[in-house]
Amino acid sequence: MAKPALAVAAPPVAARPADVRRRPARPGRVEGARRALVTAVTVGALWELVGRLKLVGDGAFPALSAIATRWWQDRADYPPHIAATVRAASLGFAFGVAIAVLAGVAFATWPTLERLMRGVGITLFAVPLIALVPVLILAFSGTKPRVILAALAVYYPTMISTVIGLREIDPRLPDVIRVSGGDDRAVMRYVRLRSAVPSVLAGMRMAAPAALLGAILAEFGGGVRWGLGSYLLASLGQARPARLWGIGLVATAIAASAYGIFSWLGARVTRANLSATLATNATPAVLESGPKRPLWQRAAFSIASVLVVLGLWAGVLRLLHMSPVVAKSPLGVVRYLATGARGANARHRLLTALRQTLPLGFLGLVAGLAAAFVLAVTFKLRPSLGRAVFPFALVTQTMPLAALTPLVVLVFGRDVLATTVVCLSVTFFPSFVIISQALSATSPKADDVIRAYGGSPWASMRFVGLPAAVPALLTAARLATPRALLGVMIAEYLATGNGLGFLLSQSRGLLDYGMIWTVAATSVTVAIILTQFVGLLERRVTRVAGNGTS
Amino acid sequence: MPAGPPEVTTSEPALHVIGVDREFDLRGERVRALDHVSVEAPVGTFISLIGPSGCGKSTLLRLLAGLDVPDSGTIDLAGETPEALRRAGRLGVAFQDPALLPWRSVRRNIALPFQVLKRPVDHARIEALIELVGLAGFEEARPGQLSGGMRQRVAIARALATEPDVLLLDEPFGALDEILRKQMNIELQRIWLDRRPTTVFVTHAIEEAVFLADTVFVMSPRPGRIAEKVTVPFTRPRHPDLVRTADFHAIADHVSSVLFSGSVG
Repeated sequence: MAKPALAVAAPPVAARPADVRRRPARPGRVEGARRALVTAVTVGALWELVGRLKLVGDGAFPALSAIATRWWQDRADYPPHIAATVRAASLGFAFGVAIAVLAGVAFATWPTLERLMRGVGITLFAVPLIALVPVLILAFSGTKPRVILAALAVYYPTMISTVIGLREIDPRLPDVIRVSGGDDRAVMRYVRLRSAVPSVLAGMRMAAPAALLGAILAEFGGGVRWGLGSYLLASLGQARPARLWGIGLVATAIAASAYGIFSWLGARVTRANLSATLATNATPAVLESGPKRPLWQRAAFSIASVLVVLGLWAGVLRLLHMSPVVAKSPLGVVRYLATGARGANARHRLLTALRQTLPLGFLGLVAGLAAAFVLAVTFKLRPSLGRAVFPFALVTQTMPLAALTPLVVLVFGRDVLATTVVCLSVTFFPSFVIISQALSATSPKADDVIRAYGGSPWASMRFVGLPAAVPALLTAARLATPRALLGVMIAEYLATGNGLGFLLSQSRGLLDYGMIWTVAATSVTVAIILTQFVGLLERRVTRVAGNGTS
Repeated sequence: MPAGPPEVTTSEPALHVIGVDREFDLRGERVRALDHVSVEAPVGTFISLIGPSGCGKSTLLRLLAGLDVPDSGTIDLAGETPEALRRAGRLGVAFQDPALLPWRSVRRNIALPFQVLKRPVDHARIEALIELVGLAGFEEARPGQLSGGMRQRVAIARALATEPDVLLLDEPFGALDEILRKQMNIELQRIWLDRRPTTVFVTHAIEEAVFLADTVFVMSPRPGRIAEKVTVPFTRPRHPDLVRTADFHAIADHVSSVLFSGSVG
């Protein structure tokens, strides 16, 4: 029997408004675009003015018109650079996403595997990518370091959002599959994979600018003719501010459009995924952590996951058949640091560099977070201002750090201030976005309760907003910590002449292989320790605040 | 069209629950959800489980659906374990929430059990079901475009897709308003009469429990027990006006008195 004849007689879906739920219209959209435009024009005009009057950095901050003119003159130079970088970034993105999604599916299927591989995930999340550049260039040739670094940059955000997407499903749906005769694999196939699509796309949205960052950073390692990173490096040497800005803006435009494409795709898919009825009787099965395991077991898993990281490090070197002189294994690094006068010297230089890098990173991080917090709270109290600035912040957070740093160095010089400003600017925008989102996600009903008792917007902020914003601040801190370290190290690597970043580039020049690997290992370790510490703080506060962002 | 309703040929229970116990750990305390519960339903009959919140009726239904296992006692569904029955696609379940896949159309939601069981999708059956539950014209609509009652119809059609021997309904109309609920009960009777699968209907509304069932099992809470088994003698199809007759009231009042007596032997 084919389609029943009734189908013709039945009224079409839209013709029965009483029976049919409609998506609410979104009148704010046009308004939002208008505000964004106003902001863009205002920022542009200010920029032009500041540039024209040479108010900042004595011409290091050129007017928009000067940048545009320069860009037009350089237009023939761009295509090969853009093509090289975008090609490497796209390749790395594709590999990274493929591996990350497969890993995510595997982790969601076998939780033990996830626990063992957690160290790898944390390492890739925390690693200051610049630290890997010399190592990758030692091990690979041609375009491979770029592709690999892009893939490494992509892995963590994509993997973690895949795992979250696969786990945080409507808890009613697995029951439906089971009573229909399905097993866990059927739940994966018919529910989890499809449910995870919006989350995976959100991960890819974060990952796309990261891939570009990875590719550009690898180009900083030198040895390649084409690429936006090479172009930036060359222009930094020539002290051509307008060109440097042009390249930075082009890189930002590429990153922002990649971000935009995945945002758009994500918004489309998310609409289709929204359940018609909210799960009223059940909250989503958030990260099935299960019963708390005994301490010895957790300790065993922690040790095992560290061993997995070290094992991977040593294993990859062996696989590549690299000479132990050039490629240091974990043991090689320990031996390098521990033996004789050379070891003592290396330890001294390493500690000196750490003492230079860490305070600056910390200072920039705190400044960036504080600025983000204050601004987010201010904009919540003055929403019209926030709506105008928010789209701008959203675009700016996609700006590749690698393109941003030379600009800051240019404007603020090659000293402590420049490093701090790099750090501030790389931590500010993402933190601002996270905290603003937490503030706007508070229940409007809670606001209504405050207002019903005659409370002012400030009271509402105090009782509803801030409790949500504080956990978000710590989340932002955890996410910003590796970025801060990376920002400082890039600034040091390119310009300032001290700290871990400089030690890295210096060792590269001196072919001090032991130090290259030592800096890489140290910066990864430090980043992991710091992010874990902030993570611990975050969990504490979130527990006390009682799921502040719900 | 599909074949007519199968004859009720035997009084052999299609559903046989004997002495089932189930306990849960709730913050370190043992809570007895079900205490020696026994329920039976002959092939092709409709039974209601009624009781206040916390009497374990949903727990029992999860056991029947094979989503949970009893601590002791046996459950026999059409000669199989619940687990075997659902793996064979002979079990249909509709929950209080329709729990449709939001990204699938009505038609593809109803096709889901076939796909999960790795069987060829019976398109004719699906079209017939859509018509049976009164959703002709909405085949391609997504759950988000449907009203609550319509979504519940989809869930019932999905539960019936594989022509189950046993149908479990867990307060399927619990989230609907009173008027719609009455209409859906009359609809449910019509749909059920089409094939007469052995059906367990969980509810906390006396009227619908009695109106739909051949037998009403009244449950009492803490621990969950069967307080009484009440037989409903009315012939089918039952007319909506039945609920206003004295005979109906007599049975409903009796169920009510058991529910509110609180004294269980």
